[in-house]
Amino acid sequence: MRKKKMIFKIEDVTVYFPYENIYPEQYEYMIELKRTLDAKGHCLLEMPTGTGKTIALLSLITSYRLSRPDSPIKLVYCTRTVHEMEKTLAELKVLHDYQVSQLGAQAKILAIGLSSRKNLCVNPKVLAAENRDSVDAACRKRTASWVRDMAVENKNVELCDYFENHEKAGENALLPPGVYTLEDLRTFGKNRGWCPYFLARHMVQFANVIVYSYQYLLDPKVAGIISKELQKESVVVFDEAHNIDNVCIEALSVSVRRVTLEGANRNLNKIRQEIDRFKATDAGRLRAEYNRLVEGLALRGDLSGTDQWLANPALPHDILKEAVPGNIRRAEHFVHVLRRLLQYLGGRLDTENVEKESPVSFVSSLNSQAGIEQKTLKFCYDRLHSLHVNPLKLQIQMNLCLFRQCATLQLLLGHMQGAFPSSLSLTTKECLIFQILYCSCHDASLAIKPVFDRFQSVVITSGTLSPIDLYPRLLSFNPVVSRSFKMSMTRDCICPMVLTRGSDQLPVSTKFDMRSDPGVVRNYGKLLVEMVSIVPDGVVCFFVSYSYMDGIIATWSETGILKEIMQQKLVFIETQDVVETTLALDNYRRACDRGRGAVFFSVARGKVAEGIDFDRHYGRLVVMYGVPFQYTLSKILLARLEYLRDTFQIKEGDFLTFDALRQAAQCVGRVIRSKADYGMMIFADKRYSRHDKRSKLPGWILSHLRDNLSTDMAIHIAREFLRKMAQPYDKAGTTMGKKTLLTQEDLDKMAETGVQDMVY
Amino acid sequence: MSNERKRTIGEEEEDEEDAEGIGEWERSYVDDRSWEALQEDESGLLRPIDNSAIYHAQYRRRLRLLSAAAAGTRIQKGLIRYLYIVIDFSRAAAETDFRPSRMAVMAKHVEAFIREFFDQNPLSQIGLVSIKNGIAHTLTDLGGSPESHIKALMGKLEPLGDSSLQNALELVHEHLNQVPSYGHREVLILYSALCTCDPGDIMETIQKCKKSKLRCSVIGLSAEMFICKHLCQETGGLYSVAVDEVHLKDLLLEHAPPPPAIAEFAIANLIKMGFPQRAAEGAVAICSCHKEVKIGTGYMCPRCKARVCELPTECTLCGLTLVSSPHLARSYHHLFPIAQFDEVPTVSSLNDPRRKLRKNCFGCQQSLLGAGNKPGPCVTCRKCKHYFCLDCDIYIHESLHNCPGCESIHRPKSVSLMEE
Repeated sequence: MRKKKMIFKIEDVTVYFPYENIYPEQYEYMIELKRTLDAKGHCLLEMPTGTGKTIALLSLITSYRLSRPDSPIKLVYCTRTVHEMEKTLAELKVLHDYQVSQLGAQAKILAIGLSSRKNLCVNPKVLAAENRDSVDAACRKRTASWVRDMAVENKNVELCDYFENHEKAGENALLPPGVYTLEDLRTFGKNRGWCPYFLARHMVQFANVIVYSYQYLLDPKVAGIISKELQKESVVVFDEAHNIDNVCIEALSVSVRRVTLEGANRNLNKIRQEIDRFKATDAGRLRAEYNRLVEGLALRGDLSGTDQWLANPALPHDILKEAVPGNIRRAEHFVHVLRRLLQYLGGRLDTENVEKESPVSFVSSLNSQAGIEQKTLKFCYDRLHSLHVNPLKLQIQMNLCLFRQCATLQLLLGHMQGAFPSSLSLTTKECLIFQILYCSCHDASLAIKPVFDRFQSVVITSGTLSPIDLYPRLLSFNPVVSRSFKMSMTRDCICPMVLTRGSDQLPVSTKFDMRSDPGVVRNYGKLLVEMVSIVPDGVVCFFVSYSYMDGIIATWSETGILKEIMQQKLVFIETQDVVETTLALDNYRRACDRGRGAVFFSVARGKVAEGIDFDRHYGRLVVMYGVPFQYTLSKILLARLEYLRDTFQIKEGDFLTFDALRQAAQCVGRVIRSKADYGMMIFADKRYSRHDKRSKLPGWILSHLRDNLSTDMAIHIAREFLRKMAQPYDKAGTTMGKKTLLTQEDLDKMAETGVQDMVY
Repeated sequence: MSNERKRTIGEEEEDEEDAEGIGEWERSYVDDRSWEALQEDESGLLRPIDNSAIYHAQYRRRLRLLSAAAAGTRIQKGLIRYLYIVIDFSRAAAETDFRPSRMAVMAKHVEAFIREFFDQNPLSQIGLVSIKNGIAHTLTDLGGSPESHIKALMGKLEPLGDSSLQNALELVHEHLNQVPSYGHREVLILYSALCTCDPGDIMETIQKCKKSKLRCSVIGLSAEMFICKHLCQETGGLYSVAVDEVHLKDLLLEHAPPPPAIAEFAIANLIKMGFPQRAAEGAVAICSCHKEVKIGTGYMCPRCKARVCELPTECTLCGLTLVSSPHLARSYHHLFPIAQFDEVPTVSSLNDPRRKLRKNCFGCQQSLLGAGNKPGPCVTCRKCKHYFCLDCDIYIHESLHNCPGCESIHRPKSVSLMEE
């Protein structure tokens, strides 16, 4: 017999929920979300992982849409990875099937996932390229407008059939309603012979639900193309958004290395040659372009639409109003300007000191030394664009992304410094091997501000958003709702512990003055030795930095502690090499599957800490050695801290602790991904028991936290915990007196009595 | 409650602050933490820990599970079992979280289990395997004599080296592959280690076991391991982890009653069996199992006249299964278990006209009234409507296998029939 799925009412919205049961926290989450939508405001919602955030969000928003047929809202769902995107779309599919079965055809929606060409392309020749950039280049080589123009005359030019068919269909190339995962899009595209990538891009304006990555909305370079057609009545959801401020900052930051400059120089030479060639063969075209520029005609008019060669990062309307300055109108002059700029940047990189400069002074010294004005800089990006696309029909084999980076830097410089004088800083960082020129943005709110302004509701949600009051300040917006939800658990399936002392009662910490103390290192080692002998399968350890990890492992190997660990479990170590780490992870999983047991040593801000789950037996215990503060001597961080203090009145210490603790919470949160799972978390540092640190941990960890333990106490607790968790348990939690799964009847009853007396 | 916890933690800190010179005996209490199990009542007096209700609840749950599995259809049970008990004597068995050590506790309870097993499954055979130093050793081959197994088990108590699940499974698989197809092949593994160091791919071995219908069950002694869970899921066995010694005993004894038959083997099969006679007193003969001269004791195979010492067994000469009729009879109750008793609600039955019946348990005649003449917990048989106390309930279902109430109803009839 098929079980009945749920329909219930939240205030005036009928919600369709495609499962038989709902967790109480999901229900509350929906209520808060509904109020946000009603208020047409923004909200911050924190709910632990494994409680079904995604389905609660999707179910409520689509149901909300159905209940307001006169003003349909659009859902824009941003995820961090392609994997998460696929998961979200799969959930949506289940939901959509259910809604259609309940309501018939009127509930039909169009939902698509949008990703890069690499994930969507179906042309086997293009897909043969190995990385993302080369797939993009291979695609452009076949689809750019001038290539196609050329193909009309010359039959030997290779085109992409899928793209051509899509173009032929024109406005009629539409997707029938339904939920399309990336795989579905590819299959559909293959069957119809339409390019899935361009089809998806075309459908963005018609779709009811769009799932794509953060960058498509936050990065101004990309957002201008993809997301500009989204209507105001949209709900934007940022999932797993605990790092959203960093994403925003990265979107507006540029770094230039020596290799970048060299690549740019090579490209410039190529352009130069092309121009010379054209001058000899086709001077008319260059002149036509020049005349257009003189007229101050925006190049955009005839460029937009098909070609997204280099898109304009920010504030395009400024430029439209002004004519292109005279000194870069001619192509050869423009190339000269660029060359001077590159030389100047190269000169800056040659320095041996660490320098920090504000954009204003950087631009003025650029003006005095290289003779390039700020206004010129502003137009560089656009000018480069027009040079490529229109007159020259440059062959695209050149790898221009290096060049693009420089150009972006110029543009950011040109623009930002007028509008936000202190939000950028330039740092030349001197290392032993290479110098890097950083242009880093310090204000996270800059990139996200257009999103807040433009869309009706923005939902920021994650498993760890504590302390929840700091995010509105960092991103400078006013949420109408900000709430943190607890997890209702049938059993206490997490066991977080703060370990402050070793078994010899001496405090342990990675504080700078204590970290090299042999006693601390020994105590940390002993902790792990004891733990690996009582914890089955996988154990994950996070260290504060690579250098600390290397140091402590070396000491452990000298003192024989590593040998003792290896008697119980195999040891795997994360390195900065991606391939090596992937291999290590793979073998780690194998060792856990086969029952050999394994320990994975990892770094708190590494790749593993952010994206890899250690759920079920892959992580029964995670040990966080020390508090993962950022490297506080970094010039960029110092500049950002200064900016935060001056602008938002956030104290340096507060921000650092917040950042460290959210990182720690992320690390330990890797072990638990669902309610049926269980895992232990050890915070091994005496500083965690201080109030300022502890209070910044998420509520669902805090409520189970055992504080101020020594190694032997932790061992005892761990033993008991693991035994208890191995026992069979009652999933619905009906016998324990607290309900953790609500059925349709429960909800009906609750609707009568009011929500307040819900049992948590 | 939280106050209490804080206090105990506070005390421990003091304890461990001057823990430098505490003796081994003290350490054992510190590890034991028996004080955490104490409960206080409202006036702050210590209350003795009353576990009987919990035990009864556990038992009811077990019963429910069994009856749920049996619901509707009558289950065929595998009465002829070939069980290998694998005991992990690796380094981890020396740990002292079970007192005096895991190893000693395991041995003690395996001994009890072997006796119980033969009591409930007289037609079955057991073999013992131990894991030591990464290698699996056969302690005893399949046989029906509890004494010889126990003797072999007790002689080998010494933990050493790593543990290897794969080696043990391979060895057992080799042994069990030879048993006749009507027998049920089972493995019960007592695993104290938390990892397994294998020479090859254990997944292949698990598939091999699955193919040859080995039902593998594991009882863990410290924590849940993925590979054990996987093994049990694949082969249809039970996986459980013992919390303490009592729990370990319960988990072991759960394996004593025969499991439901595997579908492929469920076809009815005729098995040749011999019912040997006990040899005459004082007769001297060489027994075929020990190759020793014995006087008096022993049985004679009806087919080849060989002498064996104990029943049930297989004749070493002609391979005939030798049993006695009580053995068969004892296996019988597994096929017709008595129905579960209903729990009697304590409050609502006050106005029940049959309330006077509830004063005493029908089984042991003890009063069913709890403290303050309130009706205590009791159960009732669905057929004869007699009331029983919880102890009798467990006794009737787990040992007696007859309901005294129902039996005493039937008797007058049969007596009267005989008189006619």
